[in-house]
Amino acid sequence: MAEKPEVNEAMAGVPKTPQEINEQDVVVSAPSTLKTVIREFKQDKVATVALILLIVLFVVVAVWSFFIPNSKVTDVNIMDQYLQMGTSGHILGTDEQGRDLLLMLIASAKNSLFIALMITIIGQVFGIIFGMITGYFGGIVDTIIMRIIDFWTVLPFMMIIIVLVSIVSKYNIWTLIGIIGLFSWQGTTRLIRSKVLSESDRDYVRASKTSGSSNVMIMFREVLPNLSSIIIVDSTLTFAGNIGIETTLSFLGFGLPNGTPSLGTMISAATDPTVLVSKAYVWVPAAVFIIVITVGISFVGQVLRRAFDARQRLG
Amino acid sequence: MSEKILLSIKDVSTAFKINGEYYTAIDKVSLDLHQDEVLAIVGESGSGKSTLATSIIGLHNMNATKINGEIDFNGRDILKLNESEFNQLRGNDMGMIFQDPLAALNPLMRIGDQIKETLDVHSDMTENQKNARVHELIDQVGIPNPERVARQFPHELSGGMRQRIIIAIAIANKPELIIADEPTTALDVTIQAQILDLLKDIQQENHAGIILITHDLGVVAEVADTVAVMYAGEIVEQGPVDIIFNEPKHPYTRSLLRAMPTLDTENDDLYVIEGSVPSIKKMDRNSDLFAPRIPWVPVTPGHPEIKEVAPGHLVRGENWKYFKFKDEV
Repeated sequence: MAEKPEVNEAMAGVPKTPQEINEQDVVVSAPSTLKTVIREFKQDKVATVALILLIVLFVVVAVWSFFIPNSKVTDVNIMDQYLQMGTSGHILGTDEQGRDLLLMLIASAKNSLFIALMITIIGQVFGIIFGMITGYFGGIVDTIIMRIIDFWTVLPFMMIIIVLVSIVSKYNIWTLIGIIGLFSWQGTTRLIRSKVLSESDRDYVRASKTSGSSNVMIMFREVLPNLSSIIIVDSTLTFAGNIGIETTLSFLGFGLPNGTPSLGTMISAATDPTVLVSKAYVWVPAAVFIIVITVGISFVGQVLRRAFDARQRLG
Repeated sequence: MSEKILLSIKDVSTAFKINGEYYTAIDKVSLDLHQDEVLAIVGESGSGKSTLATSIIGLHNMNATKINGEIDFNGRDILKLNESEFNQLRGNDMGMIFQDPLAALNPLMRIGDQIKETLDVHSDMTENQKNARVHELIDQVGIPNPERVARQFPHELSGGMRQRIIIAIAIANKPELIIADEPTTALDVTIQAQILDLLKDIQQENHAGIILITHDLGVVAEVADTVAVMYAGEIVEQGPVDIIFNEPKHPYTRSLLRAMPTLDTENDDLYVIEGSVPSIKKMDRNSDLFAPRIPWVPVTPGHPEIKEVAPGHLVRGENWKYFKFKDEV
């Protein structure tokens, strides 16, 4: 009995009528894309570490490579051949020609990443354009482009790239990008096409048509924004793949021309059995670098994929 | 309702290509729409209402569709226009209101930009004028705080608000013809009434002609001036709204009206029309297509023709003269 008044006292502190809510105070907003992405990263520790590592590596490579004079990576100095790690100022040692491996690694990474980036851009731009055209217009256009792609994808592209690289007489970094770029847009086209097929049947596209918008306007203003998530995910993942393609070609000796260092050429030092077995410091750093970058990118890509697809989200 | 004929549909047939063969979805439909008129097209699902609407506004994929006949809009045959000429008309002289307000808005575009799109296509207003017009339109369709709503995304609005936005887009350029394809189907009853009032207000303000497609006879009674009843891709009865509701002739119209539940029916069972609309592949255009659904009525051979039985009142076939419901026979 004695407790009752106390309870009433406590109740008195609570306002009887709910506070009036002004319409201005009510802010209805869904979490922004950036917030969703950040939340997904928080759920995935490995991807967060990968992202930080990638950012650090990219920044270091991009900035440092500007300060490496070309002579450092081209000049041969037989006296310093195969120096061990940490000897006479060479942190990672030197290679067969006596060049500093750390500087080589940075300069190579810059080239490899740049090429992979350019190929990704070429592949995405053409893939998006062709994918939108085939998916949106359908009919005979779709049939023709898709059959061309079917034909293109069964070609052994590594062999063709090697042949092209061998027969083009004066080739530099840009011709290599162009040649690999020829084989980089088919997958994206298919992906974009399938998404456009489902999008262009939606009511909002028809609604836009009844507003008198032209096909080009509908494709770029209505459909393209709705593809942004798969474009981001696809370009991240193909970027990792493209690093692999470039380094493979360079490893085989059909990649970058002589004098332009690449991660692949650094690893190809391992084709010499003695280097492979007893001088691992020559090729291991480049190999580790590639693995870290590609695995890291695919972790980040997975997180992005999850963030853009509500059904797959963890957080 | 003025005397000026805005839209005149003459013998329009639409056929779809399915597995390489054309099947008729709409068979020789003729209709007139006057300025200031609300024409309701009613019928079951699959009776060709929406196909007629999309034939008028040109939403069919012409690779797989064949449209014959003539659709005169303000004296121009719109079936003969090319894509860019048609785009000049769409959104400017005719607007369309869709059934599902969420699907008809682009999920990734702000409301203001979506309304602005049709202004971008058809007007040479400056950016400031466009923004002002967008706010005016949002205000006109009865949404408070236009500045804020213009910056929001579709998912942040309620269903009724989204449908108002769709209407705002359709009327942005003050079109003479508005096609409303089941504008209230996806909304709850209280919102339905508001949206219908809004449509009526807009029609009176803009002196537009409205084609209202619906299967809700309550909606028809409330807003329509004239009614066309469609069955299996053809019009079976057509006339002013009070005649259709008070003196329906065609068995289908009468069945539809009888199937509508009212407050004062004493019978607990609803009236059901037997069977269903035949599939597009199984329609025999040489017979009375509604006959299989009233099997107790003797079948007249051949395809019934539509005839005027009173001024402005058209009925298809002759069997309405002796038609009785099953329980009345």
